[in-house]
Amino acid sequence: MDLLAQILINGILLGGLYAVMALGLALVWGVLNIVNLAHGAFIMLGAYVSWYLYTYAGVDPFLGLPITAMVMFVIGYAVQRGLLNLIVRAPMFNTLLITFGLEVVLTYLAQLAFSADFRTINPSYAGNSIQWGPIVLPVARLLAFGVAIALTVAMWLLLLHTRLGRAIRATAQNLVAARLYGVEPRHLYAVTFGIGIALAGTAGGLYGTVSQINPYIGAALTAKSFAISIIGGLDNPLGVIVGGLFLGILESLTSLYVGSTFADVASFGVLVLVLMVRPNGLLGKAA
Amino acid sequence: MLKISGLTALLFAAAAVTMPSNGAFAKDIVLGASVQLTGPVANTGRYYRDAYQFAIDKINASGGIKVGNESHKLALKLYDNQSDVNLSVRQYTQLVSQDKVDFLLGPFASNFALADSAVSEKYRIPMVQGGGASDQIFARKFKFIFGTLAPASNYFGSTIDMLKGLSPAPKSVALLYADDAFDVSVADGTRPKLKQADLALAMDERYSTNATDFNSLLSQIRSKNIDVVLVAGHETEILNFVRQAKSLAVAPKMYSFTVGVPSEDFRKALGKDADYAFGMTAWLPSAKLKDRWFGDAGQFAVAYKAKFGYDPDYHAASGVADVEALAQAVENAGSIDPAKVRDALAKVKFDSLYGSIAFSDNGQINLPQTVIQVQGDKLTAIYGANGLIAEPKYPMPAWNAR
Repeated sequence: MDLLAQILINGILLGGLYAVMALGLALVWGVLNIVNLAHGAFIMLGAYVSWYLYTYAGVDPFLGLPITAMVMFVIGYAVQRGLLNLIVRAPMFNTLLITFGLEVVLTYLAQLAFSADFRTINPSYAGNSIQWGPIVLPVARLLAFGVAIALTVAMWLLLLHTRLGRAIRATAQNLVAARLYGVEPRHLYAVTFGIGIALAGTAGGLYGTVSQINPYIGAALTAKSFAISIIGGLDNPLGVIVGGLFLGILESLTSLYVGSTFADVASFGVLVLVLMVRPNGLLGKAA
Repeated sequence: MLKISGLTALLFAAAAVTMPSNGAFAKDIVLGASVQLTGPVANTGRYYRDAYQFAIDKINASGGIKVGNESHKLALKLYDNQSDVNLSVRQYTQLVSQDKVDFLLGPFASNFALADSAVSEKYRIPMVQGGGASDQIFARKFKFIFGTLAPASNYFGSTIDMLKGLSPAPKSVALLYADDAFDVSVADGTRPKLKQADLALAMDERYSTNATDFNSLLSQIRSKNIDVVLVAGHETEILNFVRQAKSLAVAPKMYSFTVGVPSEDFRKALGKDADYAFGMTAWLPSAKLKDRWFGDAGQFAVAYKAKFGYDPDYHAASGVADVEALAQAVENAGSIDPAKVRDALAKVKFDSLYGSIAFSDNGQINLPQTVIQVQGDKLTAIYGANGLIAEPKYPMPAWNAR
């Protein structure tokens, strides 16, 4: 029983981390209709930004997250204005090609710049844990989970209750009408992509405190974020957190009862099921 | 006019460069290899690139290889396989069929060597590889594959021997392994050894290669109160495993890992958390290991670090041994005919900085593994073929008691 409770907790905390990873992907996908295959590479870049801040400037990885987010926002804004804006009206296939290419370029640039060595962001408290009866709560994951919830709520508030958020949603729903109301789509797209990449960078900083960083972590993280976005649905950020938690718990229970090798089978199996039964996601409007 | 004469001069210069600079040397003997220079395992692949080049330069500097009355220099033709097995097979095919290299050196990792050795076998060109330890590579009765890594099935052999003498005696063991050729061979070899040692195998779990989350496995280790955890996996997984063990406060009496522990990079990434981790290596840079070209293993390690800026581990030494084995075999055969060199490799026996090089009938070397442990910021040899070398730090203290 204790073991089951611990596994559930592990799953929930893992799910929080998953949710932050997917948040940016879902936003960009939902608003710009770009499935950003370079999303994981941006998570990787964010992790390196946090690592450099921590290793060379002594900035605490959690307190440094806003800096990481800002750096990544600028990169994201520039990439959208300079590159992705060229294909924003092109068919989906072109966006897949260009973001795939971007993923390859970023990964290999990262190896040139940072080498293939493995890095960890390892402040003294990163490995600490809180004993709660028979349950162990890892501090770093707990913090990451807190950040995840906070970011999701912030995103939700931003999209629903601010002028910028309304403009973003309006553009996603009806570009022509949004323009008539004075929305400047080029700037707005770049801001949205920038926010998406800032979220990815934040996820990277969190990832570096619980896992290891190398230039090649991106592809697997893109796949995971993709699955979470589908399972949760693109309509609102709360769906992403539901998708993340669902996947985290599912993977943990699968490793316990079926075997670790089946964790991926389970998560991508569920992805297929969701696509068949509820193509708009668990929280999305029924098809 | 000026342009043309400039061009002509350039052509002459190019001709001068391509002409053999020393008339005493006959045609180069070209060794071909495809190694992971980019991609997820580039971190270990670099050992092979550096070791191959280092060994070849050293052999050339001391006069090359004598075949009959002629001296040949060695040359290296190296491709980057981007950590992709399929690309690696295509590159070995290209090395043999288009580049017409004389002999082959191996890639890193068992799953690569397993696939690539099919190429050397098909074209009947000897491949000496120091990157694949899986017993599967040598179980197919191939004639042209030779390996300088000790058999995967025996990686935990010396560790289990050591476990028998520890106090308090460990009772239960968890064996975790990734689902690839090397790690499955390790697990298959470890199970009967545990049984012989009367150690109960309380957990026997396979996980997906590149798994990042070990929380479920660690929680089970904690809940079953397991004494000894043996992990056969890749360096990234093992880094995650140790970090997550700490964050879940899981501290078995000891844990040991097939990879990572000998490499400097691993200890750097984990910092203090690397302390107490056990591992194994078939090679330590000892001055007792004499070498015809490098003097001894100690001198080699110093020269290697000076040249490349990082410490060599057994991967690097094994890579050097591959080049030396080919060089020695060519000299013994007195020919560069692939079939004759293959027969010479099967019979080769010489001392090197890596240890005594000789291949058993299946083509694999047999070297004992020395148990090593991270103690403080040092790597300490604990248990070798002749028993205890230094006291192990055992049992491992709880994470909050360090």
